[in-house]
Amino acid sequence: MLVNQFLILAAVLFCIGVYGVIARRNAVMVLMSIELILNSVNLNLIAFALRNGSADGHVFALYIIAVAAAEVGVGLALVLLVYRNRKSIGLEELSEMKG
Amino acid sequence: MSSPLLAAVSWTVPTVDYHGLAPEIVVALGLCVVMLVDLFLAERSKWLLASLSGFTLLGAFIPVLTLALDDGGARAMFDGRYVIDDFSLILKGLFLLAGYVVVLLSTTYIEEGEYYQGEYWVLMLSSILGMMMMTSSRDLISVFVALEFLSIPAYMLAAWRKRDAKSNEAGVKYFLLGVFASAVMLYGMSLLYGVTNSTLLSDIGASISGELTAVRIIAIVFVIVGFAFKVSAVPFHTWAPDTYEGAPTPVTAFLSVASKAAGFVALVTVLYVAVPEGSDVWQPLVWVLAVLTMTVGNVLALRQTNIVRMLAYSSISQGGFILMPLAVAAEGGAGGAALRSVVTYLIVYAATNLGMFAVILTVSRKTRSGEISSFGGLFGYAPALGVVMTFFLGSLAGIPPLGGWIGKFSAFQAVLEAGTGWAYAIAVIGAVNSVVAFGYYGNVMREIWMRPVPDANTMPIRTPAQLVLALAITTISTLALGVLPGVALHFGDLAIFAGAFAG
Amino acid sequence: MDQLRDANWVLSVGTFLPLAGVLVMLFIPKAEEQLNKAVALLTALATLAVGVYTMTQFDYDQAGKMQFVAETNWISVIKSTYHIGVDGISLPLYFLSMVITVLVMIYSWNHIPSPGNPKAFLMLMLVLQTGMAGTFIAQDLILFFVFFEIVLLPMYFMIGVWGGENRQYASLKFFLFTMFGSALMLVAFLALFFKTGAESFAIPYLVENGGAIAKNTQVWIFAGMFIGFAVKVPMFPFHTWLPDAHTQAPTQGSVILAAILLKLGTYGFMRIAIPTLPGAAVEWAPWIGLLAVIGIIYGALGCLAQSDMKRLIAFSSVAHMGFVMLGISTLTSFGMNAAVFGMVAHGLITGMLFFIAGSVKERYHTLEISRLSGMLQQVPKLGWILGFCAMASLGLPGLAGFWGEFPAILSAYNPADGLSEEAFRVYMVIAALGTVFAAAYLLWLYQRTAFGEPNPEFTGQGDGHGHHHGDGHDEVHDVNTLEWIAWTPLLVAIVLFGVLPNLMFKIIDPAVTTIVSGFGG
Repeated sequence: MLVNQFLILAAVLFCIGVYGVIARRNAVMVLMSIELILNSVNLNLIAFALRNGSADGHVFALYIIAVAAAEVGVGLALVLLVYRNRKSIGLEELSEMKG
Repeated sequence: MSSPLLAAVSWTVPTVDYHGLAPEIVVALGLCVVMLVDLFLAERSKWLLASLSGFTLLGAFIPVLTLALDDGGARAMFDGRYVIDDFSLILKGLFLLAGYVVVLLSTTYIEEGEYYQGEYWVLMLSSILGMMMMTSSRDLISVFVALEFLSIPAYMLAAWRKRDAKSNEAGVKYFLLGVFASAVMLYGMSLLYGVTNSTLLSDIGASISGELTAVRIIAIVFVIVGFAFKVSAVPFHTWAPDTYEGAPTPVTAFLSVASKAAGFVALVTVLYVAVPEGSDVWQPLVWVLAVLTMTVGNVLALRQTNIVRMLAYSSISQGGFILMPLAVAAEGGAGGAALRSVVTYLIVYAATNLGMFAVILTVSRKTRSGEISSFGGLFGYAPALGVVMTFFLGSLAGIPPLGGWIGKFSAFQAVLEAGTGWAYAIAVIGAVNSVVAFGYYGNVMREIWMRPVPDANTMPIRTPAQLVLALAITTISTLALGVLPGVALHFGDLAIFAGAFAG
Repeated sequence: MDQLRDANWVLSVGTFLPLAGVLVMLFIPKAEEQLNKAVALLTALATLAVGVYTMTQFDYDQAGKMQFVAETNWISVIKSTYHIGVDGISLPLYFLSMVITVLVMIYSWNHIPSPGNPKAFLMLMLVLQTGMAGTFIAQDLILFFVFFEIVLLPMYFMIGVWGGENRQYASLKFFLFTMFGSALMLVAFLALFFKTGAESFAIPYLVENGGAIAKNTQVWIFAGMFIGFAVKVPMFPFHTWLPDAHTQAPTQGSVILAAILLKLGTYGFMRIAIPTLPGAAVEWAPWIGLLAVIGIIYGALGCLAQSDMKRLIAFSSVAHMGFVMLGISTLTSFGMNAAVFGMVAHGLITGMLFFIAGSVKERYHTLEISRLSGMLQQVPKLGWILGFCAMASLGLPGLAGFWGEFPAILSAYNPADGLSEEAFRVYMVIAALGTVFAAAYLLWLYQRTAFGEPNPEFTGQGDGHGHHHGDGHDEVHDVNTLEWIAWTPLLVAIVLFGVLPNLMFKIIDPAVTTIVSGFGG
């Protein structure tokens, strides 16, 4: 069945996303990587819903899409805030506090 | 193969138990009222918003009480996806009262800041609403929605002083790591759904048993890692010190108490209801997390010079103690004791830590400093604040008869009830850690009692009425919980999740 | 039995009355120093009055039984109750704590150490009194633990705020040592609770059921308690906090520390560790005995090496508590009798010695033994009292110290069944040697400080160097009225119990017999 291919695709997307979060030093790129993870989750859910023959996965995916939109909204607002104050969105420069 | 959507044909309107939902409804309405009133208020009467928020939280406490007094048993809605039982009521009460104290802490701070006030209260109320939903959620979807509902406003609160670089940094770090953690947790949840074909926690619990396949192990691990971020367990704690230090101090109080408690609520619900049979996987994981959390938190706290940052590490370390009984919760019937210990610990920790922040806010109004040394000689010129702060420090260190000891005690009790080798090992590690912790709590006490005033400025401290009330509430609860620990333990003595570890 | 239960309010009132005084003092401004002192002293006196009443109502024919027992719900969820009572072991220590607090309050009337603030100082002392009294009457492990810990913070502040130059280090060391011990002790308490079926924390219940635990487990649980109590006693090698704490503490703190706080540890051994875990006690006893005699010798040698009078007395405490522990480790009623007597005697004598050290410091502004001399000439009364206490401390027959030390040594000749006689006879010989050392260091101390000519530094005569201006010298005066009031009861008690030891043995013996009945001693 095709479901397994979807799951593998989702796993690959997840790994790329995690790598992006860890390796990228640009706040927007990190945000995009997180989106990638969320989409891999959605893919997973839809594929499982198809295999299991239940609607819960679809519902879950819809919620995730909605919440992710809110999250990105807040996230970009925060990034914009940082950009206004520092003219940069590099994460390595966010080091006011240490210890 | 029929479409899954067509399979659910017999759809009926679910019954809604309005009494059961009343606390949430009150907070939701109050939130809307605050938002609307804010639009029409002149700048000088914005203080009304604080009172409105406070009354909303107290108002929501009334239905919590009526529900608690009603002994009709647990109320379940939506096929058991949203449950109002003793566990959720006690924690709702805790969140509402903690929220009320945070409102008291915030009032003067927010009025004296030059930022938007209305938004602050709306965000705070939404976050509390999310926490209340979390206590009742018994479904992966509602757990997720509640988690985001409480987190997203918190990200914005952390960055509330928007022209302050530290506050920005606090918000961005909190946001990125928080969202990343929930994404990882979601991946785990999607796998859980995949292997059990249900999002209802109790269904998942019923189908996960016997041999654990690789997918199940990964699913459980990812979900726990997601919550570990939320409760700032080491090694997923890196956001906490920066966020706590950078965020406005009342928000830090809120995050370190309420948000952390909500994380534990979610963790406990998932562990107890969804994956009790997966204890072979999560017990060792939680064991390691607990040991690392209490030890690393302690060691790093020892070398802090900023009081809020020190409290951030102290709160990490306290989180380790809350995790400790969960590491053996499935052994030898210790499940009930572990649950009791978590709830008890959260209650006393909330009272103590909020009180601590109340003192810090009061003192920093005079000293304008966050350094531990700014507390030097406090006992000399403000004896009441000095003594109260000593109570809170002693309570966090777990010294009887101050509240904190009963939290630590019940944690040790739960661990020893399990009685396995791992349990004894973690008990001894915990005992040693509770001594090390006195190193930094005692350091603050030493400043307060034994050191000179740093700038020889011994003007008395003017304490605003709201902070006096907050101090009174937290001091009395800290002392009362310590002297009559039966009260706190009684709240924690919950018969819910029955059969979670029956097998 | 009913008549024993009639007065079950007595102990609670006696224990918590000091807290009522604290509450009253909260509302008295700091500046009203005399009023604060008066309220504190009155509270302590009222507490003592309750203590005297307790003594009069105590049924001495049944001293082996718990009396004035009160039992009520406290933390029902974890099966811990508010359960209190006194028997022949508790009563002397309970009463001693009240007496000492009153005497220390009297002494404090014009001896508030720098930086002043009698209100806070006396409030802490009252809280301390509640913790001490409560520990001696608690019949429930959790209650015991709470009282045991209550004394920590007040003592920490007493040393840390009102202490000597190195006070912050000393207070933290005191705190960390004790807390480390009590953390492990708590774990041991919980283990004991679960291993006896998770039924109750009541000590009588645990005494009944503790013996059934597998011996190997008992040994481990005992280890946890051992660390907790041994730190408090303090036994070698956990004693290092003691000299620092004593040296740095203000006089009042030292007196309370020596007279009462150290007894919490030995009392814990007798009341909890040994009766609840008899199997482990037999295994541990030779090691406890060994550490006890090491403590005796080590403390004595430590004394010989000290140049500071207060530090010397502190080390002598280590040695004396060694005798007490040796008595306990024999697990015989003879040894335990000696131990309880030794605790009270050490409380009286060493408490008194610390009072003297405080007064010497006040007059000479130093405790360097090499700078003190000729006290008998300059302050003859103080000199004689020091001599008297030194004699009492080295165990001169006829004074209280003798009845703590001598029977403890004797008891080691014939330890309880199951203990190695050879080992304990060796201990006996070493401990006897320890008394010789004790005589040596105390007499040497006395010789150096009291005999000879007064140091010209402090006489105001023959001082040609000009760095003394005469004003300070009138401070070197003899014992004043307040000191007499504070000290006389202790001095009288030292003689009284020295001449009539049976006054106390009569109370202790039945209670001790109950404890050791399991050992066939």
